[in-house]
Amino acid sequence: MPSIKGQIQVLDPIGLHARPASQIVNLVQECGLEVTLGRAGEDFAKASSVLRLLALKIKCGETLTVAVETPDQLLAEQVIAKIEKMLRGD
Amino acid sequence: MTAALGSILKGLGVGDSSAVGEVLVISQFTRLPEWTKSTKTKDVEISELKKAIEQVANRLDDLRETSAGVSSEIFQAQKMLLSDSELFDAAVKNINDGWCASAAFGKAIEEFSDLLKGEKTLEERVADLQDLSKKVQASIAGIEITLSIPETGSVVLVGEDFSPADTAQFTEAVVGVITYKGGPTSHTAIICRSKSIATVVCCPEAINLESGVKVVLDPVGNRVVVGEDRSLATKAFEFVAIYNEPLIPVLANIGSLAEARAASQTKANGVGLFRTELLYLSESTEPSVDQQVEKYTEILKSAPKGPVVIRTIDAGGDKAVPFLNMINYSQPNQRPTGYQLLVTDRKFLEGQLQALELARLASGREVWVMAPMIATLEEAKVFSDLARSVGGYQVGITVETPSIASVVSEFAGIMDFVSVGTNDLAQYLFASNRTDSSLGSSPDYWQPKLIQSVAQIASGAKVAGISSGVCGESASDPLFAVVLAGLGIESVSVSNSQVTSVRNALSSLSLSDAQEIANQVLKQTTAEAAQKTALSEIAKR
Repeated sequence: MPSIKGQIQVLDPIGLHARPASQIVNLVQECGLEVTLGRAGEDFAKASSVLRLLALKIKCGETLTVAVETPDQLLAEQVIAKIEKMLRGD
Repeated sequence: MTAALGSILKGLGVGDSSAVGEVLVISQFTRLPEWTKSTKTKDVEISELKKAIEQVANRLDDLRETSAGVSSEIFQAQKMLLSDSELFDAAVKNINDGWCASAAFGKAIEEFSDLLKGEKTLEERVADLQDLSKKVQASIAGIEITLSIPETGSVVLVGEDFSPADTAQFTEAVVGVITYKGGPTSHTAIICRSKSIATVVCCPEAINLESGVKVVLDPVGNRVVVGEDRSLATKAFEFVAIYNEPLIPVLANIGSLAEARAASQTKANGVGLFRTELLYLSESTEPSVDQQVEKYTEILKSAPKGPVVIRTIDAGGDKAVPFLNMINYSQPNQRPTGYQLLVTDRKFLEGQLQALELARLASGREVWVMAPMIATLEEAKVFSDLARSVGGYQVGITVETPSIASVVSEFAGIMDFVSVGTNDLAQYLFASNRTDSSLGSSPDYWQPKLIQSVAQIASGAKVAGISSGVCGESASDPLFAVVLAGLGIESVSVSNSQVTSVRNALSSLSLSDAQEIANQVLKQTTAEAAQKTALSEIAKR
């Protein structure tokens, strides 16, 4: 399966904390796709696990790479955009 | 050992309501079975684990349905963690390595706790995980560990400390709470304050209390008295205003347009601290000067009548601003000094100062501008020169370090005013952290060293002919605000919710009375004595 990647910046002042993490998990479970994310060059975490997402300890201002396993470019972009919104902190 | 009638147990009081009730000791040391290798088949262990997780999940659902607000969110968050497939997979892996279900789950929790540790924002999640570990293991062993608190009567809960899951189960019958550990900013303290439950935390001697004993909770006196004579409780001091206006102006602290509007609903005499960083935290690129002018003008127009003291951006540590260079300079969690920012992000600071000048002209308001975290006289000069080259406002700094506190008297011609940030000044003086209560049973700002330092700043400001204010948390304590006025501080800035009570306190006595109280307080050698002296001196008047 091809993987479509996108980069997002974490703007939530508290970083990737419990609330956005559980929103991301819900999103991933709803869409049924395999989604991973993390810092470029490091191990990625499964976005279906709150604990794995929290363990990344992502801070405000950091850039994340999101990888969505799907051939559908549009769908992948939608998922990435939704995750970006969840990490905006508003 | 049983505590005898009339014995006094010292602790840290939370809130100002007292209570009498019957002790119910909550033992958080329920013995769970030891972790052993499995004697059953892997399939049996896995199904036992599944059953226990399901049971705990159902109980969390029940608790969530019967609780509201924050408590309900806690149970929801715990359930999310419990149903994490990675956690289950890790436990199954341990079962496959030969461990029994209880040990397998406990070890899986430890693995994830280790991954989350060391991060302040994740501490509560680690506590949630530990709580879940106990619950699932107890369920596997068939042990009941849910708190069973009576629905009626007057109960005083006594325990090491209480988790969010515990406090959410407090019934109407809970009139008081005593913890051996935990500080005044612990979860227990915050919840009990919001529910107006009489609470004494950090009370190690309470470990001698037995269930059934009657106690008087005396948070104002920072103690618990064994017995049921409620008249033993110390009364919170009630200030009665006798003047129309306070001794010194009481201003409000704001950080957003909403807070500016809320402040204008109070009797605040202006804004004494406008924290500007909140406006920038959600911006990924530097906002243009025009955009900033628009925001500032709107806030200035909404602020309560009087001067508006604006602090230039104070960022870093947990308040990282995406577009500032200082992120690359500062250590994680360490604030860069105001001066560092002058060096690394001078362009941004110039833009902010320009925007503030344009907003000042557009709004027609009296604006004062100050820089945070300035450590030396030279740094103060650099900021003053920059600010005065850009705008026509009053220029000052916040005094937060002992190094700058001692040179305030030399500020003539450099600064127009200083504003004391007592929280940070206390931290620098005592290298303390907020939850640590080792400094004794009174808040940090009652420490004689801090009070002396504030006195030095106030008299230094008078020598230099500039004005001095306090914008730290201490000013929100009505009793301490009286001491500040007596020390010669010329204004205080407090949170919106405290404007009325601080005004009330400062309208209840004359300046000479406040000065006399401050003089008596200055003679004390401990924080407890300082607080007590202020209280007894004020009661005399």
